[in-house]
Amino acid sequence: MPLSTPNAKVILQAAVKYLEEELLPTLTGYHRFKTRVTINALNTIRREMELRGAQAAAERERLVALLGHEGDVEELSRELAQRIRDGAIALDDPALRTHIRQSLADALAINNPKWFDR
Amino acid sequence: MSTDDFARNLRVAVARHIGAPGTIHDLQQLTGGANRTTWSFDADVGGPRQRLIMQLSVAVPDDVPHPLAEISPHPTAEEGARLMMAAAKAGVPAPRVRAILETPDGLGPGYITDRVDGETLAPKILREAAFGPARAKMTQQAGEILARIHRIPLAEVPYLHGQTAAEMIDAQRKVVDFYGLHLPAIEWGLRWASDNVPKNARHTVVHGDFRIGNLIVGENDGIRLVLDWEIGQASDPMQDLGWLCVKTWRFGGKLPVGGFGRREDLFAAYEKASGHSVDPAHVRFWEAFGSVKWAAGCLRLGMRGIEEMGIERCAIGRRIEEPLWDFYELLEGRD
Repeated sequence: MPLSTPNAKVILQAAVKYLEEELLPTLTGYHRFKTRVTINALNTIRREMELRGAQAAAERERLVALLGHEGDVEELSRELAQRIRDGAIALDDPALRTHIRQSLADALAINNPKWFDR
Repeated sequence: MSTDDFARNLRVAVARHIGAPGTIHDLQQLTGGANRTTWSFDADVGGPRQRLIMQLSVAVPDDVPHPLAEISPHPTAEEGARLMMAAAKAGVPAPRVRAILETPDGLGPGYITDRVDGETLAPKILREAAFGPARAKMTQQAGEILARIHRIPLAEVPYLHGQTAAEMIDAQRKVVDFYGLHLPAIEWGLRWASDNVPKNARHTVVHGDFRIGNLIVGENDGIRLVLDWEIGQASDPMQDLGWLCVKTWRFGGKLPVGGFGRREDLFAAYEKASGHSVDPAHVRFWEAFGSVKWAAGCLRLGMRGIEEMGIERCAIGRRIEEPLWDFYELLEGRD
């Protein structure tokens, strides 16, 4: 990422602030709905920038422990998906269950943190 | 087609199928989807003015058939209308079909039904005090209506596509493969589903999308009408009971049946009306697999967001973990 300022997170916050505080109150119907969806999408990107780095590092550690070898997080995750599909790992393996639950919780923390509050 | 041509064709079609003169009032487009549009209007056909709804299928250019089109086969507009007629005959509150459009009508494939007032929005039905009497009735009504749907003779609707649980799992697997998604959580769900396909399933007419959103509800009388027969199929009837309990379709409501009722009440009403006993574990399979199926649906809709650059579709794509989370919660007994 270039070292220009303001950084991406600040720019995103400024864009969301404009959309939410100035534009949204002037809109009704279709454009109000669509702008709300857009604000939510931008907030998802912001949370991804804030959270994903640490999540991916922890996810990689879990995958290395499950699969028994090194690799990058995406390759390892793809390999795990294939092993599950091939029946090469038991569905009730506790470490597997823990990994899947944690990975879903991580993704929800980015995509829709409210899902835990229902 | 110009707006004038459309209005004239509609008047002629109404006059021909329902009654002259066919004068149209208050024509409004209610929804416009990629696959179909819905219109509301009133018409003079001799006697009292008729309150009508028209569904039109949008002609899809057939030079680029979508590679996943065959994965969940839909009845055509005419077949959908005939399914609703068979359902009404079986005592189901299905839209009353007034006309099935034909080529000379010049409107494309579609049909016209009576229009019924009521609410379809989940937040109102599930949370507004005015709908309290409806909520108290809906679980029993759902059980009875589903029993009637499952009694429609398959011979009356021979065009319905049959899909067993195993075929449906296979279809979701094809969606995942087509988009090259390698997500351990969905692979786990698909393998769980394959390992747990219920034995001894009956094979009946299945609505396929029976839930709030597709029901017209009255404040005091509950379920007035069952809409959206567009994925009607021949399958395991317990699919409909399970789908109604999928957490996504509870729309934040606390109770497991559609956000408004208890499973044991749904099952009791269904058993009484159908004469078939309900195995809760069998329904639970369909509830759990329903979440996996909806996760694959999020993938499919979300990838269309990338193809079409649509922000709403993109947002749906990012919802894939919601039903998967619910799936694991259900398997661990938290629902």
